[in-house]
Order: sequence, then structure tokens, then C-alpha cells
Amino acid sequence: MSQAVAVESVYGRLGIHNKKIGMWVFLASEVMFFTGLIGAYIVLRFGYPQWPVPSTILNVPLTALNTFILICSSVTMVKAFAAVFDGDQSGLKRNLLLTFLLGSAFLGIQAHEYMELVHHGLTISSSLFGSCFFTLTGFHGAHVLGGVICVLVTLLKALRGGYVQADHIGVEIVGLYWHFVDLVWILLFTIVYLI
Amino acid sequence: MKSKTDGVFESQVTSHGSRAPHAHPNYIGIWVWLLVLTLLEVGAVYLHLPRPLLVSSLLVMALVKAALVAMYYMHLKFEKILLTFIFTSPLIFSVVFTVLVLFDSPPFH
Repeated sequence: MSQAVAVESVYGRLGIHNKKIGMWVFLASEVMFFTGLIGAYIVLRFGYPQWPVPSTILNVPLTALNTFILICSSVTMVKAFAAVFDGDQSGLKRNLLLTFLLGSAFLGIQAHEYMELVHHGLTISSSLFGSCFFTLTGFHGAHVLGGVICVLVTLLKALRGGYVQADHIGVEIVGLYWHFVDLVWILLFTIVYLI
Repeated sequence: MKSKTDGVFESQVTSHGSRAPHAHPNYIGIWVWLLVLTLLEVGAVYLHLPRPLLVSSLLVMALVKAALVAMYYMHLKFEKILLTFIFTSPLIFSVVFTVLVLFDSPPFH
């Protein structure tokens, strides 16, 4: 006699893990969040021909390095996921640690850049450009900070052996969030620093 | 006690969501592309291209980088198409929203 399933499978009827769908829906809402900010930036800039040339105010080479650092952190994050997918515990821990360190480095360099800019007179209220710059990069930085904390929590759980080959959805969804933060930065760097 | 079908289903579908194990994408290869595109983007700024060409090439390069991260690092290419729809459908609203607000800016008065 076949028994009815007492507990619904976390894969539901769609065949996708609930937590994964949850994270993707959350990321979709985050797309709209950043749309509001980036859309406002585009509209304000479009209607203001005297907009300063970003490369004359912002440190483009340093931020290009920071972009590279964040991209590297995405590589280490996906490698951490690949490791636990393949059952490699040491690879998981090593790459989560690297992701945490690279993410922290990104924040450190951002903080340094903020202090330099404020020192040179660009603040959130000094000009329209300043307002836009600090609001956009500031909200992104807050997302990175949240991500760094999540990666740290994931790392601590991994160190306790909390993720195994058969069950590592937590690593995957933290990874999705982290890649999204990188993705937003790829767009922000281009739109705010280069165009 | 899990039902027989439940166990079979769970063993087929890993937390990765794929029906069968597949080789990992070439993460380092994608990283190289991301690096090259970043360098090209920064280089384009210093080439003093005509403005429309600069803006369009930068946007194309940024979108390609974003697509690479989404497709390979976030595994959208290997997941069920539903996840791609969930993630990309807001982008339609993003474009509509920005374009409509753009009509409020001074050049359109």
C-alpha cells in the first residue's frame, strides 16, 4: 500500500527547491529596487546637460580594480558551491573564506574612496551628482555588507560541517544573492563611473 | 516514512535543481571574459569615442557581462526556464518605468 507523503517535498510541483524560488523572487524585487535608483539617475542625467564627466571626479582606475575584486569574489563563491556540489568540504570552506575576504576588501576600498571624495568636497548634498553617486553606490554597498555578513554566517556553518553534498541549498542561495550584487555593480560601475 | 515516489523524485532532483549531474561550466573561462570586457570598457572611456558610440558600446559590454554572470555563475542557463522568466520579467517593467519618467525631463518639454 503506497503511503501518502506526510511532508510535502521542498521541490513542490515545479521541481525547483522552494528556497531557490524564494531567492529568485526576492532578486526580482531587488531588480525593481535598483531600477528605481538607476532609472532616476538616467532621467536626471538626461535632463541635465551640464552633468560633470565622472572620470574627472571619480577614481576610475581604483574602482575598476574594485570591480575586478568583486568579480573575483563571484568566482570564489561559485567555486565554493561547485565544491560542496562535488562533496569537497575543504574547497567549500576555502572558497567561502576567500569570498568573505574579497567582499570585505571591496567594502574597504569603497569606504576609502568615499573618504577621499568627501575630503575633496563631493558629498551627498554638495551637488546633484554627489546625491546620485552616494545614494546609488551607498545602497549597493549596503547590499554588499549584508551579503558579506551572510557569507560569513555560511562560512561558520560550513566550518561546523553544516553543508554536505546531499544538502547544501544554503550555499547555493547565498551564492545567488552574491552574484546578483556583483551583477548590479557591473551595471552601476558602467553607468555611474564610465558613461 | 517517505513514499517510494518521493524518494525517487528527491534522488533525481538535486538541490541544484537539475535532473542529471552535469559538468560544471568553465568558471575561470567566464572570469577571463569578464576581465577582458572590464578592461575594454575602461579602455573605451580613454579612447575618446563619439558619445553615442561610447554609450552604446559600454551598455552592450555591461549587459554581456551581466548576462554571463546570470547564465553561468547563477546557473540560469542550466535551470528550468521559469527562473529565467522570474528574473527577467521585471526588466520589462524597468524599461517601461524609466522611459515613461524620461518623458518628464526638460528635453521633452
